[in-house]
Amino acid sequence: MNAPYFVEVLARNGEVRQRQRVETLPIRIGRAYDNDLILDDHHASPHHALIEDDGQGGLQVRDLDSNNGVVCQGCRREQMQIGGDTVFRLGHTSLRVRCADYAVADARRDTTRHGWEGWPPALAGGIILVLLTLVGTWGEDTEKAGAILYVNALAGLLGMALLWSGGWTLANRLFGGQTRFGRHLFIAACGLLVIETVSLLSSVAAYALSLVTLTQFDSLLEILVVAGMVYFHLLTINPNHPKRIAVSAVVVGLLGMGLVLMVNFQKGGIFADELYNSDLYSPALRLSADKPVNQFLEEAQHLKPQLDAERGKPVNGVSEY
Amino acid sequence: MKSFFLFALSLFCFNALAQSADDAVELPAPSSTAQRLYAAAKGDLLQVRVLLKSGRTQSSVGSGFMIGTSNLVVTNYHVMSQVALEPETYVGEYRDTAGRRGAVELLAVDVLHDLAVVRVDRSGSGFFKVPQALPALKQGQYLYSLGNPLDLGFAISEGAYNGIVSRSFYEQLMFTGPINAGMSGGPNVTVEGRVAGVNVSKRTDGELVSFLVPVRFVRDLLQRVAAQSNPPADFKLEVGQQLLAHQASMVDRLDATPLTFKQLSPYQVPVWESDQVRCWGWSNTKQDNKPYTLDQVSCAMEAALFVSGEVDTGYVSIQHKRIQSDELGAWRFGGLASRQFKSQGVGWHKDVRLTPSQCVEQFVDNGKLPMRAVLCVRAYRKFPELYDFTLLTASTDASRMTLQSRVEAVGVSYPNGLRLARIFLDSLAKEVQP
Repeated sequence: MNAPYFVEVLARNGEVRQRQRVETLPIRIGRAYDNDLILDDHHASPHHALIEDDGQGGLQVRDLDSNNGVVCQGCRREQMQIGGDTVFRLGHTSLRVRCADYAVADARRDTTRHGWEGWPPALAGGIILVLLTLVGTWGEDTEKAGAILYVNALAGLLGMALLWSGGWTLANRLFGGQTRFGRHLFIAACGLLVIETVSLLSSVAAYALSLVTLTQFDSLLEILVVAGMVYFHLLTINPNHPKRIAVSAVVVGLLGMGLVLMVNFQKGGIFADELYNSDLYSPALRLSADKPVNQFLEEAQHLKPQLDAERGKPVNGVSEY
Repeated sequence: MKSFFLFALSLFCFNALAQSADDAVELPAPSSTAQRLYAAAKGDLLQVRVLLKSGRTQSSVGSGFMIGTSNLVVTNYHVMSQVALEPETYVGEYRDTAGRRGAVELLAVDVLHDLAVVRVDRSGSGFFKVPQALPALKQGQYLYSLGNPLDLGFAISEGAYNGIVSRSFYEQLMFTGPINAGMSGGPNVTVEGRVAGVNVSKRTDGELVSFLVPVRFVRDLLQRVAAQSNPPADFKLEVGQQLLAHQASMVDRLDATPLTFKQLSPYQVPVWESDQVRCWGWSNTKQDNKPYTLDQVSCAMEAALFVSGEVDTGYVSIQHKRIQSDELGAWRFGGLASRQFKSQGVGWHKDVRLTPSQCVEQFVDNGKLPMRAVLCVRAYRKFPELYDFTLLTASTDASRMTLQSRVEAVGVSYPNGLRLARIFLDSLAKEVQP
């Protein structure tokens, strides 16, 4: 226990909001101006508490008969021993006291690539977005609509991407202290690239192999990718708890999928995104063999029992029209 | 509401002005036949109203007429459809030209010809007779429709008989005279006062093109009423059976009609072209400078059966589309074909009348054309054994050309739906290049 002492005012998430250096004990804390640490807290008494030597080589906090007392772990204390990690509350203010000889942890390994901040990732993200939009729009431009189509699509997509990454940037500034806009734009662009690629591959595979399920649940795949994006955005804001972030991303993903399935069911009475696979490609991509008409109609025959079973079910509680 | 009244008022003022201006000119003699007919028929003419049981507010309004001296009234099925299908919610009422009201009891329906017979608590004077021997009509002869148009009051309108229409699945008479909403179910009589038919509908895309149900179907339905001891306990079942009978005869008749093959070169597309099924063509080439051509043949029955305000059923429609492009590459053409295929749309929004669609899809080859085929089926919740079938196909024979077809059979039995699907799947073809 060596002087000087540092009284730290903590935010709710444990970060230090204010640090006061005090050379000698005891340390007087309260709202009045003759204290060593002045609290701007309406719920603190003018002379609220005192930090002093506990006579055993440590520190203790003593309540100076304040209105609201000294609270630690939910219990009001008249007097208690405190270590460097003990957090106690005076009124609405959480405090911690550390001595000069408090042992701090070693530096965490720096995994951030400092060269990949600011303009480079922003530019890369921007280029990915522009290319995605141009290629996507070119693919859909079958009506000779001209340049306006491309400009419109670019404006729309870039606007959306800016809003999305702007939101994450704001969150980063609030909770992580830095802005890191470039990183967030890059994550958004990569996410979109993955979504487009996954959709395309699943759609081509669905056509080639006649696997209808792949396109019917395309939106679930997309939500999976969005959950991955959320993971990377959160990790950019706060890289300290990757596991906790992974769990929240999974929860977000599951909630999103549940919502999509519910909306689909409410809209059309089925869980799939669409009734049938409408994506057609060049016949050269087709791998699945042609079936004879008989076999196709045979399969159709099997729908009848399901339809007849459905007929008897009430619709949203209404059994008649 | 305010503006409506204003409009009505201004119309009235205009008429009054016009009349005073015309006073100087000698007016043509009023139609004495219409006067005489209305005076004679007045006592046997009714307005038939369907009311909500709770609140007794009116839900639909039509007309009807007393048969002979009995207590039977003939009207349209579509006037009484709510009472037939939802007797727990709706109830019928009549009002005569003297303003007297009373309850009506549904005795029989004929969905196919759109007729219904109800019983009331009064008798007719004998003006409207439906004899065994029916009047022979000549084109151009005067006919008179009676009823209560738009719930405004009882009216008679004069027009001409213009033959039998074969467009609708069941025979109807063409009446070139005004029939308005609310006159449905009212009688149509000859100059001598003999019943020629029952007012049923009009074309809203034409002028004075109205339709009558021929009186012989009224005669047949009255005979059925005379033969039955009690009215059917559940009209839903009765309607369902009539719909099943209709689809059976419709599909049989279609099947007996040889398919016509239209050229959407190099494809040969099958359609039925007959009096009932009309075909129309469409092409985008001339209209606009698109990088692809789209040629289309659509055939559809112009008439469907009215079942209720929400359900029209018992018809078939066929559409073939050839899309082709030299300008677009295979990739972009695939996107175009996909969007077209998607827009073929199988109704899949939640529906209280029909179950959700169930589909099968597959690459299919009939030996003449390889294609991607999708068959979606929905069942009618209220009518057992009735389904809506939609068959979609997209040919997979070329990378920059495709034939997309859509065949819809609405309100058919399961075997008949499959039968129609098979006919089309078997007969789509590509010409073999010599």
